[in-house]
Amino acid sequence: MRWLLSLLLLTLFGAVQAISSAGQRLLVVLEEHSEKEKYSVFLGDLESRGYHVTVDSPKSESLSLFKHGERAYDHVILLPGKSKGLGPALTANALLDFMKKEGNILVALSSEHPTPTSVHTVLLELDIHIPSDKGALVVDHFNYDSNSAAEKHDVLLLPFPKQLRPDVKNYFAGEGVIAVPRAVGQTLGNESPLLAPILRAPSTAYSYSPKDEAEIVEEPFAVGGQLTLVSSMQAHNSARLTVVGSAEMLQNAWFAEKATLNGKAVKTANRDFIAKVTAWTFKETGVLKIGKLIHYLNEGISKKMNTSLTVPENNPKIYRIKNDVAFQVEISEYADSHLIPFVPASQDALQLEFSMLSPFHRLNLTPLSQTTNSTIFGVSFTTPDQHGIFNFRINYRRPFLTNIDEKRQVTVRHFAHNEWPRSWQISGAWVWIGGIWVTVAGWIAFVAVWLWSAPTEKSVKKTQ
Amino acid sequence: MPPKSRPAAAPASSTPSKPATSSKTGGSMDAQDIVLGVWNNYQKITPQRVKLLDSFMGFLVVVAALQFFYCLLVGNFPFNAFLSGFSATVGQFVLTASLRIQTNPDNKKEFESTSPERAFADYVFGSLLLHFFCVNFIN
Amino acid sequence: MAATEGEQFLKQVSSRNTRGLLRVIILVLIAGAAVSSRLFSVIRFESIIHEFDPWFNFRATKYLVQNGFYNFWDWFDDRTWHPLGRVTGGTLYPGLMVTSGVIYHILRFLTLPVDIRNICVLLAPGFSGLTALATYLLTSEMVTSPSAGLLAAAFMGITPGYISRSVAGSYDNEAIAIFLLVFTFFLWIKAVKNGSMFWGALTALFYGYMVSAWGGYVFITNLLPLHAFVLICMGRYSPRLYVSYTSWYALGTLASMQIPFVGFLPIRSSEHMSALGVFGLLQLVAFVEHVRAQLPSKQFQTLLRALVLIIFVVALGGLVLLTVSGIIAPWTGRFYSLWDTGYAKIHIPIIASVSEHQPTAWPAFFFDLSMMIWLFPAGVYMCFRRLTDEQVFIVIYSVLASYFAGVMVRLMLTLTPIVCVASAMAFSQILDTYLDARSPKADAKENGTSDPAKVAAAVVLPDGLRSTRQPLVGIYSYASKLTVIGASAVYLMLFVLHCTWVTSNAYSSPSVVLASRLPDGSQHIIDDYREAYYWLRQNTPDNAKIMSWWDYGYQIGGMADRPTLVDNNTWNNTHIATVGKAMSSREEVSYPIMRQHEVDYVLVVFGGLLGYSGDDINKFLWMVRIAEGIWPDEVKERNFFTPRGEYRVDDEATPTMKNSLMYKMSYYNYNSLFPAGQAQDRVRGSRLPAQGPELSTIEEAFTSENWIIRIYKVKEPDNFGRDLQSATAFDQGRKKKRATKRKGARVLRVE
Repeated sequence: MRWLLSLLLLTLFGAVQAISSAGQRLLVVLEEHSEKEKYSVFLGDLESRGYHVTVDSPKSESLSLFKHGERAYDHVILLPGKSKGLGPALTANALLDFMKKEGNILVALSSEHPTPTSVHTVLLELDIHIPSDKGALVVDHFNYDSNSAAEKHDVLLLPFPKQLRPDVKNYFAGEGVIAVPRAVGQTLGNESPLLAPILRAPSTAYSYSPKDEAEIVEEPFAVGGQLTLVSSMQAHNSARLTVVGSAEMLQNAWFAEKATLNGKAVKTANRDFIAKVTAWTFKETGVLKIGKLIHYLNEGISKKMNTSLTVPENNPKIYRIKNDVAFQVEISEYADSHLIPFVPASQDALQLEFSMLSPFHRLNLTPLSQTTNSTIFGVSFTTPDQHGIFNFRINYRRPFLTNIDEKRQVTVRHFAHNEWPRSWQISGAWVWIGGIWVTVAGWIAFVAVWLWSAPTEKSVKKTQ
Repeated sequence: MPPKSRPAAAPASSTPSKPATSSKTGGSMDAQDIVLGVWNNYQKITPQRVKLLDSFMGFLVVVAALQFFYCLLVGNFPFNAFLSGFSATVGQFVLTASLRIQTNPDNKKEFESTSPERAFADYVFGSLLLHFFCVNFIN
Repeated sequence: MAATEGEQFLKQVSSRNTRGLLRVIILVLIAGAAVSSRLFSVIRFESIIHEFDPWFNFRATKYLVQNGFYNFWDWFDDRTWHPLGRVTGGTLYPGLMVTSGVIYHILRFLTLPVDIRNICVLLAPGFSGLTALATYLLTSEMVTSPSAGLLAAAFMGITPGYISRSVAGSYDNEAIAIFLLVFTFFLWIKAVKNGSMFWGALTALFYGYMVSAWGGYVFITNLLPLHAFVLICMGRYSPRLYVSYTSWYALGTLASMQIPFVGFLPIRSSEHMSALGVFGLLQLVAFVEHVRAQLPSKQFQTLLRALVLIIFVVALGGLVLLTVSGIIAPWTGRFYSLWDTGYAKIHIPIIASVSEHQPTAWPAFFFDLSMMIWLFPAGVYMCFRRLTDEQVFIVIYSVLASYFAGVMVRLMLTLTPIVCVASAMAFSQILDTYLDARSPKADAKENGTSDPAKVAAAVVLPDGLRSTRQPLVGIYSYASKLTVIGASAVYLMLFVLHCTWVTSNAYSSPSVVLASRLPDGSQHIIDDYREAYYWLRQNTPDNAKIMSWWDYGYQIGGMADRPTLVDNNTWNNTHIATVGKAMSSREEVSYPIMRQHEVDYVLVVFGGLLGYSGDDINKFLWMVRIAEGIWPDEVKERNFFTPRGEYRVDDEATPTMKNSLMYKMSYYNYNSLFPAGQAQDRVRGSRLPAQGPELSTIEEAFTSENWIIRIYKVKEPDNFGRDLQSATAFDQGRKKKRATKRKGARVLRVE
């Protein structure tokens, strides 16, 4: 009976299983309830992927991101509203604390609505800058939709983003055209390695404030590729924040709209793009998991024990200088609600550091084998000729992938007194070994002859 | 006054009278004769046992010199090996010299409490210690 | 009749047994007194290891006892000097630990399971009894008077100069090293007197044991050759000297090279070269003496003497050349600073900063030696009356030890044995003369200095000359005898009183536990150190790295059992300077250093609340100096002094001082203890500014009851990549301003 009950529970859980690896409680903050209709397809998509969607207004009293010190929700979507304040539950500190507890946030901005102050503060702390002029939006005279924005050119039609860098995997690729109507352009600060642009404006775009009466914009907020329309930030604890420049991108109206780009009729693929963006933000894609991590001595008995693929946990705490050491780590990627072997981008390499204060070795980990769920990366090397306390460290941080920072501390000791080569093994020492034993032999002979010979004093005494 | 290690009577008779005229300038001829005289004297006077001692000491000097020259030629790479080999000979030489001094009947006044047998026992004890240390040091 | 029978009784063979028994009893009582006078701190507080260095020895002993000798020999300590580690097995003197381990195993074998801590605490008193015995043996070799030895043993048992380093709980190398020192000297004197290879070999063995126990073995290494050299120079060369010295040198040097920490030093360093030099000289002198006996002609002798001189000079020149060219290492800093006392302050501030290395103030001689300090020259003078070989040794030892004791406080310890011996000789001379109940007779023989030659001379010479030749001196009246004996007894009692008082008040403090008196006279125990260390032990992860100044490294390793960055061994000056730099720089500079070294907690000692003057702010300038030695551009000592040249911690402290990590850690939150604006630092006697320091990269983790120890936790880097100053400012409500119009060229973002 018990197994029946557990089977029932299991199927129940399976039915409501969310694809996200980080939980399924989703909060949508929407000030005006009437606007919920405009986002119905978007929210419906989220619910079909298994999220428990709660739509709440920032003014509501029961709204709180935390309950008893823990997160009450796993993900938050902030949709634009008329007021500049988001209420006491959504202050900048609260949002940052939510992210410190590994919560994910998706922020949608709008050029028609003012950006809430807490959101602005959070973005400033994270080094994402938005134009200070109210109502500024991104305009492009070459990639606009002739249907809806024939004069204002403020609805951009862009292809899906390409690979950001050759060594970064692309989770936002797709076929089609994305419509970005009246977006608030963002610029990403240069010092933060945590920021990555998801969708960049084309080189012909610029940020324009409609209140500006001049014909020519002299000091635009940003132009071209420096403008980001959808930007992302992944914190050190892998909490993710995405800023979508245009909340209208999420609305039903633009999910599957007919548009005209430079005379060609296209259909917007916003639904697909937004699905990918939310999948990334809510940790359905781009999530890495480390399985087993082992290191072992690659010589002698230990080597024999560890030659099979399913290696046992070894991880000794102490090695010796100039030892052969092998290191293996099992990494999986989370995709479609299960783990698959992780394959880094083509020009990317996973690296192992063997360091004490600074790396003595920095080696590429080669994929040795694959299981159904993971790839096993490994490398072999020799411990340096310096004793001390070292760390095996994998410090793998890439845009759009959760961070891996694994450290294992080991001690590398010196040669023990009986690990030095013996004197007879050193050819240069044979002469002196011979010298000692010749001395000893001569001494034994001397003692023997002495004991056998007669004492001298008796003879001398007689003469005296 | 420090005691002499040989009775003064015997050598006086066998020493040639040349040292009376010796000076630093007339050196080499006299020095050679002196050395020869010393050697002859030595051959006659010293008992068998002491000659045995001296031959062992000479042997040790030869071994030490060989090791030292080897070190000069080839280098002292396992330094502890060089030290232990060389010190074995030097230490043994010194211990044997001490035994010679102690068993010399002319030094009886100095070593009242040590009979020659006791001296020899001490010698064996010291030598065994020396050998132990040398073997331990050379690993 | 009864008197003569009594005299007969004292002179019979059985009387010798009685005297022997008396002697044994006296020696046992002396040992008992020695042990018990060292137990003050155990009785007052508890059986605990004192100070700093003994904690490391204790930890090493525990490791030895748990893991066996070979593991100890190969021990790589990864819980000190993080992340460099320390090859402890090869960089310590193992004698002390091995001795404790052997005693531990023997007691267990005898089914007496004594905890290793108690063995370690009580080892020093135990060995002090043995030291008294060794002093007795040594003095008996010097003079024939039976009482001198016993007096010397008594002096050595309770003199404060020795007690300071051998109290119960002071588990340091000197605990066994002084015993070995005195015993080695005894064996050496025995060897020189007998001219025996056996005694020479024994000297070498105990010398080897001493080398394994203490770095001060260099004293023996230089004193014995000096003794031999002086004897040769005085014309007292004898075959006994040759036998004893050469057997000691050959075996002793080999024995000392077996210790990994010493290694090749006996061949390579200047401190051992005198022994080698005298060894060579002795060979030369022996050979010359041997040949000289063959040919008694004077000119040959002078020729050979000149030859000896030339060879000696050549050898010395060769030695100097080797030293200058670097093959033989010059005198190491520690020993060089004994000759050039100003050297260490400029070049090696670490050595200069140790309080034990400071020159001795003159009251310390009286404090440590009491009345022996004036008996001591008398005893040395008495050696000149009948200057045998062994008494030359006393003279040389006295002179050398007096110089060193004057240079460095710590070396009072090596002066103490010879002071005890010499003063015992002088005192026993007084007692022997005045305690003799008999009146001196006219006969020369009963005067006590019966010398057959003098008697013969007295017989030969005519009467008139005889009286001038040997005047009959003696004490006749009982009054003078009683006065002197009474005075001596009073002096001895005062000596005992002084020693006990000094031991009780000055040398029995565990220094881990502080004691003070409350206004009503009761004792108030300040146990902040152990409170803080046990907090660390119970509340931090096992591998949490602690950064503190090196003084506390051993204690943290011993009591808190956590890895430390630097400790009292001070073998790596750069690492210490790194810690010094982290302590004396602003947080922006310190934080990367701490992160690079994986520091989890920082510990600082602050005495401002109690008035405890041994705190880190007082030691701060040493940290700055040591850091400045390595990074003169980044850390400058004069930046910590006001323009008028004062070292201030109040409003007038320099900005460098106020921003330094040490200042902030010491005074963080200190204002909360006082009414507003009245925070007072009781050690420096200054009023602190109303606004206390703020910390952004570390946060307060623990402060002990009397604020003596403060522990801070190093924060993780900000989750969002901000620098910690901005992150802390944001948390406190100071938000970043909106980006104003950019001036100048834009910086474009490149992927």
